[in-house]
Amino acid sequence: MLRIRNLKCFYGQIMAVKGISLSVKEGEIITLIGANGAGKSTLMEAVSGILPDWTGEIFFKEKSLKGMDPPAVVKSGISLVPEGRMIFPSLNVYENLALGAYILLRKKAKDDVAEALETVTELFPILKERFRQPAGTLSGGEQQMLAIGRALMAKPRLLLLEPSMGLAPMLVEKILGVLETLRGKGLTILLVEQNARAALTVADRGYVFETGSVVLEGSADELLADTNVKRAYLGKDYEEFDDDNR
Amino acid sequence: MTTDDFLNYPPEEKNQLQLERLQSTLNRAYRQVNFHRQRMNAAGIEPGQVEALADLTKLPFMERADFNEHYPYELFAVPLRDIVRIHTAPGTSRNPTVSGYTAQDLGMWRRITARAMSAASVSDHDILQIAFNQGLANWGRDYKDSAEDMGVSVIPNTLLSIDKHFMVLRDYKTTVLVTTPALARQLADYMHKMQVGPAALNLHTIIIAGETIPDDFRKAIEARAFVSCWLHYGLSEVPGPAIAFECDTHNGLHISEDHFLAEIIDPETQALLPAGNAGELVLTTLTTRAFPLIRFRTGDRARVITEPCACGRSLARIEWLAGRTDDVMKVDGVTIHGRQVRTILEDMLPVASGQVTSRVRDDNGRKLLEIVLPMNDEIFSDEIKELEKLLRKAENRLREDLGVAVAIRLIEPTRPGGD
Repeated sequence: MLRIRNLKCFYGQIMAVKGISLSVKEGEIITLIGANGAGKSTLMEAVSGILPDWTGEIFFKEKSLKGMDPPAVVKSGISLVPEGRMIFPSLNVYENLALGAYILLRKKAKDDVAEALETVTELFPILKERFRQPAGTLSGGEQQMLAIGRALMAKPRLLLLEPSMGLAPMLVEKILGVLETLRGKGLTILLVEQNARAALTVADRGYVFETGSVVLEGSADELLADTNVKRAYLGKDYEEFDDDNR
Repeated sequence: MTTDDFLNYPPEEKNQLQLERLQSTLNRAYRQVNFHRQRMNAAGIEPGQVEALADLTKLPFMERADFNEHYPYELFAVPLRDIVRIHTAPGTSRNPTVSGYTAQDLGMWRRITARAMSAASVSDHDILQIAFNQGLANWGRDYKDSAEDMGVSVIPNTLLSIDKHFMVLRDYKTTVLVTTPALARQLADYMHKMQVGPAALNLHTIIIAGETIPDDFRKAIEARAFVSCWLHYGLSEVPGPAIAFECDTHNGLHISEDHFLAEIIDPETQALLPAGNAGELVLTTLTTRAFPLIRFRTGDRARVITEPCACGRSLARIEWLAGRTDDVMKVDGVTIHGRQVRTILEDMLPVASGQVTSRVRDDNGRKLLEIVLPMNDEIFSDEIKELEKLLRKAENRLREDLGVAVAIRLIEPTRPGGD
């Protein structure tokens, strides 16, 4: 569904992604693992059209995304839930969601909007309760749900998801559960999540990023069992690796 | 997801997976192994410049001598404590070849070998007997682990005489035998000599590994032992036994291309040969963690079969050709380097390496390495016992280092010409 080859991304003179190839098949949940600055978010920005300065190939459903701006990418069926949520705090919850359906509303596809809204409120009933509340007054977790809900309002085929850092473990689990539900509804998901272990438990496959390159790819089970991955990315709860610091 | 979805991948998807794996292998090798980094730097290439499978040709070759030079652990791409198995094989000179495997590597090998055995219709209804010489003990372990994973009943590798092998085959009702051409031949001849009929054994399949076999050889074994033969290709030093395997069309060997990339080069010019030409097989690992091979020159001769296989597998096929492109002998599947033989002999005996010749000899169906030495004054002793002792000692040392049977023969020295 998504096929990336030799992607190189630039911020001015700096190459943040140094020739990455990866692929996401229909119905898969794929997770990207790596330290901050490894290039995961940059890749998401390139796919979603936010970062125009890239070389290589990005194909979505056999069509190149080269030169597409963010609205065109959304229109083609890809929605991004950016890191840091980026909701509009002064607008209420309903208005935030409606903004996500901007393209559908312009097409006057009212039925689609109603259907998307129903899906979102089914997934996150709390949002329905808060429809008239300014988004800025929501808790961190609720804001995260709103950000995902807003992305879903465009009825995407592929969701690029970067839940924010610092979410409580319970919320992370809730959101990962939501992803499984979404996959059940036919959505394909590319996930960047700081909690690599949690992400790998829902993902089918993963790619390990290191300073702009992929150093390992494999099934989620393989990566979860990989001693190197455990040491580097699966968090401090792996006490057996304490001898690393000796 | 099982690895065998790969067998039905469309070309585009297969190419993408191979490229992704090649790039991550190169990134790991470049970052974690000095040897690879220095050589890529010297060739003026970085992993990021490999943008297609065809770009592989930009990378330098790896040879067996590199294992020797970076003995024992310098080619490992993971910290030593991630290694769960260390394996020794004969090297190119003084040092043996040492390879390592992570737990993932071993798991991968079990799946690769299982795929090859499944293609030979081996299943959990089978009783599988493994018979390799000491030099292929590691393959014995790989076949054992893999077959056990498949639920097959395994009789692990043990060194036995042909009579004993036959007894086990008969009494234990073995259905599948994994062995080398020499032992398969020995067994077939034994059965022929003893006039064993088709009903005497349950054996229906022999998986032959270690050396390629000519057609008439295969036919003789199939006729005398009442079996079907399936050929497997592997490397005895690194990384394992079933890199390529026959399917039921028995027309060439399918390479597990999700784990290995194969190229055929001209051994003289080292240039890539067009598909279909015979040359030296060069392998690159795509999933190996501990001991990545990048453009490893196997010394084996092969040809890529370009026509699609009737079995429907999308895996590329090679025809494994007889002979070598290097100073290497295959003794019952074990790779023996002429240089290593000469180095060991120089250590043991007062002999100049230019005078040593060695060849593979058939000793009543058993393969052994025969070394021929010209007699000289330093070796010669009035005490025939002393001379015997010296030779036996050298034989023992060679046997220990090489893992195959060795016989040293002394001959009359030839006078240099014109003297």
